[in-house]
Amino acid sequence: MNFDKLKEIIVEELGVEEDEVTLEASFADDLGADSLDLFELVMSIEDTFGVTIPNEELVNIKTVKSALDYIEANS
Amino acid sequence: METRITQLLGIEYPIFQGGMAWVAEHNLAAAVSNAGGLGIIAAANAPTEVVRNEIRKTKEMTDKPFGVNVMLLSANAEEVAQMVIDEGVPVVTTGAGDPSKYMAKWKANGIKVIPVVASTALAKMMERAGADAVIAEGCEAGGHIGELTTMTLIPQVVDSVSIPVIAAGGIGDSRGVVAAFALGADAIQVGTRFIVAKECVVHQNYKHKVIKAKDIDTDVTGRTTGHPVRSLKNKLTRQFLKLEREFASAEKLEALGAGSLRNAVVDGDMHYGSVMAGQIAGLVNKEQTCKEIIEDLFAGVEEVKKFSKIAW
Repeated sequence: MNFDKLKEIIVEELGVEEDEVTLEASFADDLGADSLDLFELVMSIEDTFGVTIPNEELVNIKTVKSALDYIEANS
Repeated sequence: METRITQLLGIEYPIFQGGMAWVAEHNLAAAVSNAGGLGIIAAANAPTEVVRNEIRKTKEMTDKPFGVNVMLLSANAEEVAQMVIDEGVPVVTTGAGDPSKYMAKWKANGIKVIPVVASTALAKMMERAGADAVIAEGCEAGGHIGELTTMTLIPQVVDSVSIPVIAAGGIGDSRGVVAAFALGADAIQVGTRFIVAKECVVHQNYKHKVIKAKDIDTDVTGRTTGHPVRSLKNKLTRQFLKLEREFASAEKLEALGAGSLRNAVVDGDMHYGSVMAGQIAGLVNKEQTCKEIIEDLFAGVEEVKKFSKIAW
């Protein structure tokens, strides 16, 4: 359920196709996101899931799975 | 005039002099600060000890506030980030990246941190990280630039953060100053016009080329490398653009550009040096003291309505 919501956000923010958003997908390498895209994505995740992701955590969120893990651990 | 920035930094005029690599050293920075603005030393890629020396020399020449621009892509950025604390620098601006990792210790040491941003996303990120203000720089500026123009960037950044915004890029006279304030800025940053300051130690050839420049005389090279740079057209920019059209490798482009800014600034090479300057160079047409430049920029503010063509 969380994964579906996350997928929706990623598709919306990064303009990628839904089937590109696999758990293993890397934001930078597979989904073409730069650090600013990632930041916008994070803001969207925060709004949707009610979590806070400090700037220092951003370096650890490299794949879709790492984003999902963070959400599940903190919401 | 009082704005959130003059109050925050204790300066008389809401103006920063841009941290231009090789150009912004102690003579220029001290002269700007003495004239009531915020002079800024560009750390760029310089060795830490060179920057430390510039800081100390600046302090000998002025007791007013000044800043250091930390270029985050420099190999010794980490060292410089510590050194500005050790030397008691009151204001740090940053460029070429995300300074979040130094923010906590700079703030803990009472430093005002003002990152340069080229997008609303980065501005928001910097506000969250604890920045005191941001410098939003449009692509009219000289040197390394972002995508958006000053006209479109400033109001969007102003809307996206509540910290003060300093507008940079394309400001050369009172009309630009008033425009920046109309767009919501609390202060301005000026680069190109300070290149031709009497106290600026760039080679006379460089000043001459800026003074003679017309509006269309700048080109942007490096778009293919992801590091676009605006400079005055010359043999170097023509060669660079030709290579880019031929899809030259990053290494080849890097080799062409290496040392070219220094060659222009220090040696006065106007053909193969990189003569970085903004689009407003066309409007910059005489060498003046920093005091004259700053007073001129702000003296006309009240008069600007007379320049405009409509009946208010």
